[in-house]
Amino acid sequence: MKSRDGVRIALRSLTGHRLRSALTVVGIVIGIGTVIIFASFGTSVQTDVVGEFEDTAASEILVVTGDVGLDPDDGSFGPPPSPGNLDSFALPGVTTHDLEQLRDTDGVNAVIPRAELDAVTALEYDGQRQPQTVIATSPSAFPEDNIVRGQSFEQGESDQMVMTERAAAAFEGNLSVNDTVTIELGEENKTVEVVGIVSQARGGLNLVGGFSTEAYVPTEPYYQEYGETVRSPSQGVDQAAYRQVTLVAEPDRVTDTSSTVETYFEQESDAGQVIDGGVTVQSAAEIVDGIEEVLGDIIRLVSGIGLLALLVGAFGIANIMLVSVTERTKEIGIMKANGARNRAVMGLFLAEAVMLGLAGAVVGIPAGLAVGYGASAYAEVGFTVPYGWILVATLMGIATGVVSGLYPAWRAARVDPIDALRYE
Amino acid sequence: MATSPSDPVVSIDNVRKEYQLGGTVTALDGVDLLFEPGSYTAVMGPSGSGKSTLLNLVGALDTPTSGDVIVAGENVARLSETERAALRGTRIGFIFQTFNLMPRLTAVENVALPLMFAEWSRSRRRERAETLLTDVGLGDRFDHLPQELSGGQRQRVAIARALSSDPELILADEPTGNVDTETGAEIMSLLRDANDRGNAVLLVTHERRIAEHADRIINVRDGVVEGIEQVEHTRPVGTEAEIGERAVGAGQETTGETR
Repeated sequence: MKSRDGVRIALRSLTGHRLRSALTVVGIVIGIGTVIIFASFGTSVQTDVVGEFEDTAASEILVVTGDVGLDPDDGSFGPPPSPGNLDSFALPGVTTHDLEQLRDTDGVNAVIPRAELDAVTALEYDGQRQPQTVIATSPSAFPEDNIVRGQSFEQGESDQMVMTERAAAAFEGNLSVNDTVTIELGEENKTVEVVGIVSQARGGLNLVGGFSTEAYVPTEPYYQEYGETVRSPSQGVDQAAYRQVTLVAEPDRVTDTSSTVETYFEQESDAGQVIDGGVTVQSAAEIVDGIEEVLGDIIRLVSGIGLLALLVGAFGIANIMLVSVTERTKEIGIMKANGARNRAVMGLFLAEAVMLGLAGAVVGIPAGLAVGYGASAYAEVGFTVPYGWILVATLMGIATGVVSGLYPAWRAARVDPIDALRYE
Repeated sequence: MATSPSDPVVSIDNVRKEYQLGGTVTALDGVDLLFEPGSYTAVMGPSGSGKSTLLNLVGALDTPTSGDVIVAGENVARLSETERAALRGTRIGFIFQTFNLMPRLTAVENVALPLMFAEWSRSRRRERAETLLTDVGLGDRFDHLPQELSGGQRQRVAIARALSSDPELILADEPTGNVDTETGAEIMSLLRDANDRGNAVLLVTHERRIAEHADRIINVRDGVVEGIEQVEHTRPVGTEAEIGERAVGAGQETTGETR
């Protein structure tokens, strides 16, 4: 029998039992739909998070003191499998001299040190006092895109401050550019003017958007004066020392620059000598890869749960096909008397099962995408169509049909035509 | 495969058939028969006589326990299951008491069923099926489903199907058992037409009056051939009134023996 004829005959059998076929397909729709819902929602979240991160940070190289166990070579992300030298973690060590060296490194566009001023307890504005973290950093932390109003502070200006929109909103009366704020710096008070409001600052680990409540002042003079120091081995003097520095690399030279920087810290830097265990250099691209991988694992895991639903659907097909074989025993006999080979009979029943599976995919994929789209809209992430998963789901539908139809089809092929023709 | 005109279309040589049903049941006990090409033979016998077994063997649906069954030059016992299917599809046409049409296929598709399994193209199949259906008087029922046809019409579709691959042998198993007497006469007349065109017909029945339409009657009882008689057709066979009259009593009798 030609396969086109087989498909036509199988289709005729399925449409002959519309309700039964439809109910069987529902089982597959639920399975494949579940897989697609999780896959499309997961992929959307992944794309959204990674996209947001990549926009701002793809060219960033993060330098953290101590060996935090982020091994760029093993590709994993998360808690270090074997903790690095935790004693050295986040000790001040990257000196002003190191910063200057880094600024002169080929491929580095900007160097953004970042340090919290421990001495600051609160900000005061117009009689209101708010506890507030104040971070010392450099103007490079505020690229054009991040500035909402006003401008960045300038290095060396002790009376300028930048804060995030959230930090500004913490004060009643809409704290804005040109307002004067008092910083409580231990015993002393410093009066500064807010020169800019930003959405977020570069140089932190702002993984998911800029929702931090932070205020920023220039490292010069603030960190030089109030920050921590170490003795610079190369200069022989005490210098302000940072725990964390972010380098902005040439966008197309991130990996090269990252290794150059790593070599510098290993061989020449103050930090490498001051800190036991050196520094960890991690480019954002690696971090993004790590996040992508973790999210990918989660998507695979959760979508895998959808496979359980598909398994239930597969039993549904197998069950209905077995019923169908018994019911149509006589038809099998008629076909065999009229020249149908066992292979043709098997092919017919297998084709029915595969069509049920495929129908489940054809209905389940758009249904899953629709729900996934709804979930993404609800979660306010951009929707991404998971093309790979659509292919996987289609193949799974077909495979489900084949696997669940194989035994019933084999039973059908083995029907004895004499018994079958007698069957009522 | 090829048979010369003189070779018998079916040759049965010392055939035994036993079934294991709790004990050994002998359905055929040493049967020798020959069916010439273009012959018209009736096999007659009561329930359990072995005539259904004989039909299954000649139809290549079953294989003998011993002895040889040769159909269209092929020794059935030596064929694989696939080869037997091909033999059934191209060299033998089946007509059953219960019509045995595919319920979800139209008249044309039912007629074309053996041609589909023999991989004819769709257009050729349709053409052939339409010709045959027109021949049996169903020129206006091409795309009807079996359930939309009367019993007689269904049996005529089945006859057209049996003729579709122009087989050497047509096997008719109680073909009038499920239709009224008038329709029965039409069906017997169609079988006679087929035979006149050169297809050998093997008619299985338990009714003498139906058997008498054939040229030869083989009486089977308890698995052995009891006797073979030639039928002299002194008058034109198969006028409707005559058959109708004779088959009145047969209807009830038939219901007891559907297998």
